[in-house]
Amino acid sequence: MARVRSFARRLLNSPVPVVALVACAGQAPAGDAARVDDWGRTLALAAPARRIVSLSPSTTEIVFALGLGGRLVGRTTWCDYPAAARAVPDVGNGMEPNVEAVAARRPDLVLLYASPANRPAADRLASLGIAVAGLTLDRAVDVRRAARLIGALAGASRAADSLVAAFDSSLSAARAFAAPGAAGPRLRLYVHVWADPPVTVGRGSYLDEILRFAGADNVFGDLAASSATVSLESVVSRDPDGIVVLAGDTSAGPPDLSARAAWRAVRAVREGRYLVLDGSLYGRPSPRVPLAVRDLSGRLLRLAAR
Amino acid sequence: MRPVRAGRFAAGLGALLVLALAAGVLAGPAFLRPGEVLGALLGRGDPAAIAIVWSLRLPRAALGLLVGGVLAVSGASLQVLVRNPLADPYLLGLSGGAGLGAVLAIAAGVASPWALPAAAFCGALLAMAAVYRLAVVAGGALDGRVLVLAGVVVGSFAGALVGGILSVTEAQGARSAMLWLMGGLGGAGWVAVAALAAYSLPALAVLFAEARGLDLLALGEEPAQHLGADVARTKRRVYVAASLLAAAAVAAAGIVGFVGLVVPHAVRMMRGHDHRGLLPAAFAAGGALLVLADAAARTAFAPVELPVGVVTALIGVPVFAFLLRRWTARSSS
Repeated sequence: MARVRSFARRLLNSPVPVVALVACAGQAPAGDAARVDDWGRTLALAAPARRIVSLSPSTTEIVFALGLGGRLVGRTTWCDYPAAARAVPDVGNGMEPNVEAVAARRPDLVLLYASPANRPAADRLASLGIAVAGLTLDRAVDVRRAARLIGALAGASRAADSLVAAFDSSLSAARAFAAPGAAGPRLRLYVHVWADPPVTVGRGSYLDEILRFAGADNVFGDLAASSATVSLESVVSRDPDGIVVLAGDTSAGPPDLSARAAWRAVRAVREGRYLVLDGSLYGRPSPRVPLAVRDLSGRLLRLAAR
Repeated sequence: MRPVRAGRFAAGLGALLVLALAAGVLAGPAFLRPGEVLGALLGRGDPAAIAIVWSLRLPRAALGLLVGGVLAVSGASLQVLVRNPLADPYLLGLSGGAGLGAVLAIAAGVASPWALPAAAFCGALLAMAAVYRLAVVAGGALDGRVLVLAGVVVGSFAGALVGGILSVTEAQGARSAMLWLMGGLGGAGWVAVAALAAYSLPALAVLFAEARGLDLLALGEEPAQHLGADVARTKRRVYVAASLLAAAAVAAAGIVGFVGLVVPHAVRMMRGHDHRGLLPAAFAAGGALLVLADAAARTAFAPVELPVGVVTALIGVPVFAFLLRRWTARSSS
């Protein structure tokens, strides 16, 4: 008990870094250190952030891409890119994070995914005097906004501008490379998330977007949701050209869907036409979106030739 | 409500069953015309249609019939055994045990298609053994109230373990385990149908053979004893057979709610309490309800599939409310 109390006192007495969280209602932000996050809250840091905790793998990648990796003092268990991220202290989960573990890193800026479930944690961190930016990173385009906001809060707006410019130009180059021309009709792919019941992704998902950028179509792209349980029969009748699988470890090979009798009714399963994609590259929007698009278009060409 | 005459009831039930099976084979998100389905049944026509009918719709309908029937018979027997109208096949700790098994398999990273059902089955059997042991230790001769309490206790314990495991393992796989557990016939294949049929026939035979014992047990233990029933033996057999059936149903289709709870009551209202008639009728009605519900689950929001338990409740509750009203109106007049 005494230890808990002394920890609390240390936390309260800690020289809260030079942070002042100000809500400027309607007031024009002073300089580029004041920005609005995806919850619509205005953040104003008295000085550029020096100690950043990133609570999503996407923001961790953006922080590193901005050249600010050295300022990261905390990351989630799932932040696996770039390799240097592994050296940053792990504060656990990014969804409904452990507030105490985050606060113990003494951050002056916390970046987290702007979901309703994360809001209580964000409010508690803010009440400790820590600036909290909620970021919705669901689509490729979100990377630009997130990079700009993080750049502004960390005094790296110039780096953010050049990151966004490079992102835009390499993404349009990658999409131009993928543009269907002589390559023939667009491949129609099924994204395998879970086998029983069959769970796939719809138009609302990031992976659906990447497939389209790379010149392929998601056979369940007509579903608005980001993920959905569908009936196997509709997978059979939509007859995909290939099965896309995200894997943490791509060397493990494709899942053995043909071991399930019902799945053998799907032609692509019978013919073993799988695309096993690296979950770290394809599972989340990041500055590596153009890389993913380019990599996928190459794989699509090889799949079409198979 | 007067029980419906046996002949008319059987004919109605038969017609319902035929209708359900026809819906199970004809309906689906891939729009096949009845003629195409008939052709596919005979092995003619488009190979894709043949694959849809033979490897997806037929095994699904067959598995739905078996699972629904098994759940209804199991529920009907357990309701008499524990003398509680709220009893369903999962009451005695089975759903908790099955959930624990499934989540443990996922957490251990076992990926084979058989792993989840097998683990759920083992979990359900473990829970069943634990409940049985508790009931024997506490109540001597399988007291119904003690069984219910032991079931709730074991189920809660397993549920707590599941909650703990889910919060410390990676979310995606564990969430999918829960998704599987929510129940559905999507993974049906002929092997699963054959396994469940081979497995449940002996257990069903035991329950059908105990029909007379169940009739007596329904009167109460003392009257049953006076009428010459070996109450302890009947209870033991019914408990083991009904639980084994439920465990097998969980392994085949996850936890499908409502069928095992309400179908037995509905059949009792229409057909009366004679278990020699009631158990087979419950099997047919439960099977028909699940096959119909599954056809609706597949087609209502196609290509998205609803959890079948949602549909069994949506169809079953209004039917049950109607029966309940007629029954109470008749018995009070």
